[in-house]
Amino acid sequence: MIASVIPRYEFRIFGNALSKIEEKIMALSPREKTRQMDSVYLLTPFKRRNNVKIREGIMDIKVLEQEHAGLQQWNPFLVGEFPLEADVIKTVVFPALGVESPVFEREKYTLSQFIAEVITIDPDLAVAYVWKTRHAYTVADCITEVAEIKVNGATIKTICIESEDAGKVLEAKKLLGIGSNVENVSYPLALKRIMGLTSLPESWNNIDF
Amino acid sequence: MTKEKLKIGEISKPRFEFRTFGRDLEEAAYRMTRLSVPVPEKVWERTSEETYIVSKTNNINNTKIRDGKMDIKTFVQEVDGLEQWNPLMKGEFPISATVLREEVFPAFQVEMPPLDKEEYSLEEFLAIIKNHPELLAVTVEKERYGYMVNDTICEYGMVWINGALVETINSESTEVEDIKKTIEMLGLGGMENINYLQAIKRVTGMIDKKLVN
Repeated sequence: MIASVIPRYEFRIFGNALSKIEEKIMALSPREKTRQMDSVYLLTPFKRRNNVKIREGIMDIKVLEQEHAGLQQWNPFLVGEFPLEADVIKTVVFPALGVESPVFEREKYTLSQFIAEVITIDPDLAVAYVWKTRHAYTVADCITEVAEIKVNGATIKTICIESEDAGKVLEAKKLLGIGSNVENVSYPLALKRIMGLTSLPESWNNIDF
Repeated sequence: MTKEKLKIGEISKPRFEFRTFGRDLEEAAYRMTRLSVPVPEKVWERTSEETYIVSKTNNINNTKIRDGKMDIKTFVQEVDGLEQWNPLMKGEFPISATVLREEVFPAFQVEMPPLDKEEYSLEEFLAIIKNHPELLAVTVEKERYGYMVNDTICEYGMVWINGALVETINSESTEVEDIKKTIEMLGLGGMENINYLQAIKRVTGMIDKKLVN
């Protein structure tokens, strides 16, 4: 199934001390919406251009199409709803994860069967349970989000600016005072850092005691 | 038998410990502040950055490195849901290959990596960990507040595990009954005893279990 979505450019940061940027967002836009949701992310220690997650029983994969001016353009496509056919897991999900597909004992998998019988037994795969409270704003015509998230129970905040127009994202960044030295961190990269699947850079969310 | 009076910062018999981790432990922390007797100023607030070494297979040895020093504690016993841990080894970097071979890597319960140098600096040791498929070095930053409730040493802390925040609360003492009473006084009754090793493994996805809230 291919959804007809125009891929958006995205700039995202993670941290526990983002209040200065949050204050600027709130000064520029009313809070338009707050949503709460749970997602399950599938991760590997390997460098991939895919963001594989399950939300409300539906698996979707975002593919990193390109990077431009420090922004990332992600193209989403829906894989399908659980119970998911083993053939789809084999031909779509595992290639996206870059991991060799196992032998499947069932024709279809519920989400819990998929996690317990396919994912957790694979030494190359890790699961991140992510609970999100997402607050929506609009800055420079861009969808702008401030979210409190829990990653396997540990909390961190994320701020994201996204638009189909890369120029508008750059304009929003400028309005919010986010310089070119600030790293663009996608969800998979942040989760991999928290879970120790990839090294922490010096600049990663240092706690200012 | 007269029980030993615990003093913060002094060496005692091996202590039992209740500790838990969650996202919202503030109510228990508030009760801790109100029920505590005055404590020495040096434990009012402490901050530190540590590196824990974890593996999927090991749940009984807790290895951490702070200020270039390695400290391994081993699980001794559980009594009424409380855990007792004893020091297994303490070492300082640079550390000899003999100590790594005979004490440190056996504690991780993983395959021994090749060790072809006589001694290893902290950076060299962490490079071995990074390249070992079964081991994970986790950065843990702590902001801890010390208290004394019902004759037990208590602490509330904010802990950043690879940058993500969890809260922790604990009570420790040589006396099991004192800890059990403290747990009730703080409103922590029924909560799971989760030690550092468990919490880190849960947040990093090595163990598929939740924290207490």
